[in-house]
Amino acid sequence: MAVKLPKAGGTFIQMEDEIAGIAAVIGASWTGMRAMTATSGPGFSLMMENIGFAIMTETPCVIVNIQRGGPSTGQPTMAAQGDMLQCRFGSHGDYSIIALSPASVQEMYDLTAKAFDLADRFRVPVFLMADEIIGHMRERIEIPDAVPHGERRAADRGVLPFAAGPDDIPGFTTFGKGYRVHVTGLTHDERGYPATTSPKIHEDLVMRLVRKVEDRRHEIADYEVVNPDAEVIFVTYGAPARSVSQVLHDDADPRIGHLRLRLVWPFPDSAIRSFPDAKVFLVPELNLGQIAREIERHTTVEVRSLPKIGGDLHTPRELAEASGRCIAP
Amino acid sequence: MKLVIDEGRCKGCNLCTMVCPYRIFQPGTILNRRGIVVPVLDRPERCTNCRLQKLHGRTLCGMCQMICPDQAVRWDEERLFERHRMAIEF
Amino acid sequence: MTFLEWFRADRLPHIYCTGCGNGTVINCTLSAVDELGWDPDRCVFISGIGCSSRAPGYIITDSLHTTHGRALAFATGVKMADPTLHVVVFTGDGDLAAIGGNHFIHACRRNIDLTVVCMNNQIYGMTGGQGSPTTPVGGISTTTPYGSAEPAFDLCALAVAAGANYVTRWTTYHVKELTKAVHAGLTHPGLSFIEVFVQCPTNYGRRNRFKQVSDQIEFLKTHSMIRQKAERIRGEGGQVKDGTIEIGEFVKRSRPAMGVVK
Repeated sequence: MAVKLPKAGGTFIQMEDEIAGIAAVIGASWTGMRAMTATSGPGFSLMMENIGFAIMTETPCVIVNIQRGGPSTGQPTMAAQGDMLQCRFGSHGDYSIIALSPASVQEMYDLTAKAFDLADRFRVPVFLMADEIIGHMRERIEIPDAVPHGERRAADRGVLPFAAGPDDIPGFTTFGKGYRVHVTGLTHDERGYPATTSPKIHEDLVMRLVRKVEDRRHEIADYEVVNPDAEVIFVTYGAPARSVSQVLHDDADPRIGHLRLRLVWPFPDSAIRSFPDAKVFLVPELNLGQIAREIERHTTVEVRSLPKIGGDLHTPRELAEASGRCIAP
Repeated sequence: MKLVIDEGRCKGCNLCTMVCPYRIFQPGTILNRRGIVVPVLDRPERCTNCRLQKLHGRTLCGMCQMICPDQAVRWDEERLFERHRMAIEF
Repeated sequence: MTFLEWFRADRLPHIYCTGCGNGTVINCTLSAVDELGWDPDRCVFISGIGCSSRAPGYIITDSLHTTHGRALAFATGVKMADPTLHVVVFTGDGDLAAIGGNHFIHACRRNIDLTVVCMNNQIYGMTGGQGSPTTPVGGISTTTPYGSAEPAFDLCALAVAAGANYVTRWTTYHVKELTKAVHAGLTHPGLSFIEVFVQCPTNYGRRNRFKQVSDQIEFLKTHSMIRQKAERIRGEGGQVKDGTIEIGEFVKRSRPAMGVVK
């Protein structure tokens, strides 16, 4: 990015740490620019406080996290998916965010563009939760001449800066355009002024922040379904999806299905219902079953987590054996 | 122009009484409705700003206004035919 | 337009305690901004957390009240994304010197075109008077009940060493000089750092034998000395009393700066 961005008319700046990195991204976003930062593991933990700030102030921004093994410094440049719950719940307080998970280099490209669009539309931080395998992968990709590019909706003049219409998303009040907005991480009323003692104002604000994302989870859901009539279904996101694709490629058994999530948060519970004949969901993840727990919340069918940590990806053989055990002989 | 202390903003810290070269601001003695002892003005017509602000087109001394942490000191436009005392210094 | 018109009148009176010097510093800063005739629509005031950092909320311009210590990092983002905006950062000693120390030295090193006004009240005022990195040796606070044993931070020396283009220190007693210093800082390219010693009667003054706000202002008046004079005394082999606040301009130079509109 340091090479390409200045040539494309952008600004690249290397901040002193990840805390400053996300802070500068939020600052830049308020001048109306599209801004992003990228990190891995511990840097992501450092960003948590300011991610909460971005959520409270409804700042559009994109954060790329190439996940590594943790906790702490863990395994630099070994694959993991251990931050999937951290990106959803890591900052303090109640909120909702959007997280995408690419499974190929092409998707890394497409979903980054999509992440900016979602961030601008929902005024929320959008996470691109890749892992080391995707991060270091080299593949042939197709770069289109143009990507779909939505505009940030500007606030109407005369409307209070944090007053949302029926869609729960207030228009954006760019700095330097005469909105004279006060942006604060404190609980604020529709004028943007701090109002920390009123339970009503806090509830209204936080409920709206959650609602604006959660109420549209079906609309923005992004997933891929293979064999909807299957009984044994793999649910994947990120790199493990590639092993499952290999399993289905090697043995085209109609009893085995695959649900691949490109958008993980807000969790698309409708995707689970695409498999009416499901007997068991197998969830291979590079963590100890973070998303498997989320799937359990949305289905009465058995959910079997296939965790794997340490940096290696599930091999197709391991997954084929796991599915083989579930299929009645 | 006349010197005014905004009672809605003043918190009674008495910093203005320290800095006024004419000692126009004097510590007050009476609690107001908000429970604050607002300084009283001793012959405010002596203030240079009251007399010469218009003539010079700028704020002259203004120490009280600058140091007032609560933005409570200001000079108001007088109404037409307002009664006021004049102080002539020789 | 006078500086009073830069305040959000609907939000006054502000939350500061009786006699708190932060209001004075805002007066001086806004007065300097007003003298320059800047368009309020093109100014952005940014702050972190603390008493001082509530200031932007009382100013009519766009303002960003951010997380603890990170104001300079946010300001860097705003300034680099749109260098035509005038960016002023309000911060306090705890915000700038403790949690935000790293961002401070790096902002000075980058020499980004910001004006940083630090209201140094020598204590964490908002959270109940804990000792801060600038609490003087012997200063009483809730976390240093027997007097602070740690040496205090000299923020101006730090800013000079880290590479800021304009560094100066005044107190809330020196309102005219402070206004001039802020004026100079706003117009000088590169990072301008203005440290202001501020009285905190509620949490610092009452624990350190300042019965009245005026006592603390009197202290700032009598214990401050123009830097050049202090250096002359030292040059002549004399001694400057411990605890003297050296005020005045520390440095004014033209190192290459970032975020300056060409």
